[in-house]
Amino acid sequence: MTDYDVIVIGAGNAGLTAATSLALKGTRVILLERHNIPGGCATSFCRGRFEFEVSLHQLSGLGTAKSPGPLRATLNSLGVLDKLHFVEMRDLYRVIMPGRLDVTLRANRNEAVQELQKKFPAEKEAIASFFDFVYKFFQEVIGAFYLNDPEISRQKYPLFFQYALADSQSILDKYFQDPLLKLALSVYWTYMGVPPRHLPFSDLAALLFAYIEFRPFHMKGGSQMLSNTLLDQLLRHGGTARFNCAVERILVKDGAVRGVKTEQGDEITARCVLSNASPIATYIEMMDRDEVPEPLITQMRSSTVGTSFFTIYMGFDCDPSELGITETTNFICATTDSDRDYTESKRLECDESSFIISCYDVSDPDFSPPGTCQAALVTMKYAEPWLRLPPSQYASVKYRCAEQLLARSEEVFPGLWGHLEEMEIATPITHMRYLGHPGGGPYGFDQYAKDSTMFVSPKPPIVGLYGAGAWYGSAGYQPTLMSGASAARAILKELKA
Amino acid sequence: MKTEILQQLDGYGDVIKEIEVLRKYGYDYSIDRGTIRQYIDRLHPASLDLKIVDIIEETPSARTLRLASGGYLPPFQAGQYIALTLDIGGVRTGRAYSISSPPNQTGYYDITVRRVEEGYVSSYLLEEASPGQRIVTSGPSGNFFFHPILHDRTMVLIAGGSGITPFMSMIREIVQCGIDREVYLFYGNRSDDDVIFHDELTEISSTFSNIHYIPVIEKPSRNYKGLAGYITADVLTKELRELSGKTYYLCGPPAMYDFCLPQIEGLGIPKKKIRREMYGTPKGISAHPGWPSGVKEDAVVTVLLQGGRTITASSGEPLLNSLERNGVIVPFLCRSGECSMCRVKLLSGKVFQPEGVLLRKSDREYGYIHSCAAYPLEDLEILI
Repeated sequence: MTDYDVIVIGAGNAGLTAATSLALKGTRVILLERHNIPGGCATSFCRGRFEFEVSLHQLSGLGTAKSPGPLRATLNSLGVLDKLHFVEMRDLYRVIMPGRLDVTLRANRNEAVQELQKKFPAEKEAIASFFDFVYKFFQEVIGAFYLNDPEISRQKYPLFFQYALADSQSILDKYFQDPLLKLALSVYWTYMGVPPRHLPFSDLAALLFAYIEFRPFHMKGGSQMLSNTLLDQLLRHGGTARFNCAVERILVKDGAVRGVKTEQGDEITARCVLSNASPIATYIEMMDRDEVPEPLITQMRSSTVGTSFFTIYMGFDCDPSELGITETTNFICATTDSDRDYTESKRLECDESSFIISCYDVSDPDFSPPGTCQAALVTMKYAEPWLRLPPSQYASVKYRCAEQLLARSEEVFPGLWGHLEEMEIATPITHMRYLGHPGGGPYGFDQYAKDSTMFVSPKPPIVGLYGAGAWYGSAGYQPTLMSGASAARAILKELKA
Repeated sequence: MKTEILQQLDGYGDVIKEIEVLRKYGYDYSIDRGTIRQYIDRLHPASLDLKIVDIIEETPSARTLRLASGGYLPPFQAGQYIALTLDIGGVRTGRAYSISSPPNQTGYYDITVRRVEEGYVSSYLLEEASPGQRIVTSGPSGNFFFHPILHDRTMVLIAGGSGITPFMSMIREIVQCGIDREVYLFYGNRSDDDVIFHDELTEISSTFSNIHYIPVIEKPSRNYKGLAGYITADVLTKELRELSGKTYYLCGPPAMYDFCLPQIEGLGIPKKKIRREMYGTPKGISAHPGWPSGVKEDAVVTVLLQGGRTITASSGEPLLNSLERNGVIVPFLCRSGECSMCRVKLLSGKVFQPEGVLLRKSDREYGYIHSCAAYPLEDLEILI
């Protein structure tokens, strides 16, 4: 008899939903987390009178009770839907390129189309037909891919077969002339981490379709509330959780897992182990080379560690309106050339980076104390240049980059700097420190078409070992939360067999 | 999705070719073993294994311990602290101490310790710690430092007693590195014969025109010529003349905050211009506003650790200390209620948490407490 049926390594989104799903099914499950708090990226921290949201910008896939999205069902089956208070956002985003573009898209298809047609009258028809195409294509994706239609065929799903592996840029180029219009419709690429030239069109279509149909959401208490709620549900249903408890080794015998050894030296046995840590940490740090099947090492060779972020968490001594911030999500773009923008993410300096400002208090005035508001300023940055930086220069470079971004925000929201009351700066190294991920990447590996679950199986070829989270599939809250629940289903199948 | 379907997708063959080429020339991640840790440890090691290389007697009641690793030490920002983990009489405990040496001194960290009444750790460090001894510490931590984006270039430093230590690091860095910043240091002490760093501060302020040193002595001796009494609004106004355009930093015992904060706020200084270091937990917790009248500090309660044993704790003492005395290991850092390292879940029973403890909303909702700043008012059950 093993100590547990399942050991889950890591209390990130996927680890939490996996462990909670398993506990709800009566499985003997233990969740081990190296940090002192659950959540991984889904967390918060306090400075002065502010509690800063670390990573949730717009929760996708939730929908409403009347028009539910897929995430709603997942959270409902975990028994946490009614315990969380969701806040719906009115807009997809406002996209600003100083002096050249300023447009706000409502989370409503007709309104978004009309607004774009007003700004780009020359491409009126193209805008309408692009949205038609996105919707038709994505409905085929749902049927063929997500619902796994057993009678799938090219005749039944012509758009899916033709465009499932197409890149986004080629579709944008096919429909539109004006680079500003292409920009206005593709800024969500930073939510995926690769530019439209590489971003599978199915991802861009999913973003536009899902955020419009199911609306973007936030939640009261921020993402830490989600993490704490999931953990609470795990504990209530007989699950066990240990914090400050890093796994040092995954114990493997004859090609099958038999448990883990913690950094404190405890050995815990189980039939299955689910890793919510990166595959690099799982296969390279927690296992010996000769225990790892060669195909796993080979498989990783074709993937590259994804982007991280440079983030400024800002607490202001006034309401958003006083700063001129009228939308929750603001994309502030430096160029219409997304390839150029992507290249900037591999540079240390932030003077030419595009960035996002998410001001949660616009949708939820209770998010920060009365008379204040908070915003996260985020730009995509790979860790590499930060790793080359001598530690003695780290702090000064961090401040310099933050100043560059604040100066750029001042162009859009004059006076913002003067209202700063608290701030914290997170670099790729900060994310690396708290997540333990190589490259400090919340998105896992770069998410090219070749890295999708169409081509790479999340299930490693070791009996009883599973993987879940951004590194094993898609990144983002909805995908990772759902990937944990889906890994739990696979584990239950194995336990019953 | 089945492979035979995938194969029919337009572009499938191209993606397969890409994967083949990339696997041929790609990166073997197995050579990266251990590197994440190494990169993080250069800046934020979970712990440091240091040695006391020197002890400097500062005043009759204070000494500086010089701690070195024999090699690399991670950088810090002047004002940050390290938390020491100590084994005193078989009890594993610890305290946070601001680094008093400047960041440009990369060979060692100085911490300066003053005797505290009934100070369990300070007595140990003053009486028993000796050169050559090894001490495990955290990496440099904390948010009390000059922030070039948020703060003004003129700093008003208000120190009480051993609260001088983070300011000493700041002032030393400014003068040793020629940093263009102006400093007004108001330094309150009980008597003029026990002022830590007095000679050095006098020397620095007479050499550097941007450093102004204003000692304020509560009970001065007969020959004392400087300011006497407390650091009042009057004292600040007279010395500073212009109050705006400056950032105010406070570090000292809780009694000093109780006195000085209203004085500073009374001058109309906006709250965001006032930064205070968390400075341990207050003595005499039952005198705090909100403490329930029926509970005495020496009340003894039991604490059940879920799935484990039961220990006893005293109401007047932070829960963390009682846990440590019973050999229960809980990670800690600031020991002032701020950093949340010592967060535990309260399953039943009531605790008192003084104002200023930085609890997340969701932690409050689910009964998490910061054990370093939570006082058990009745029998408890907790989850570590």
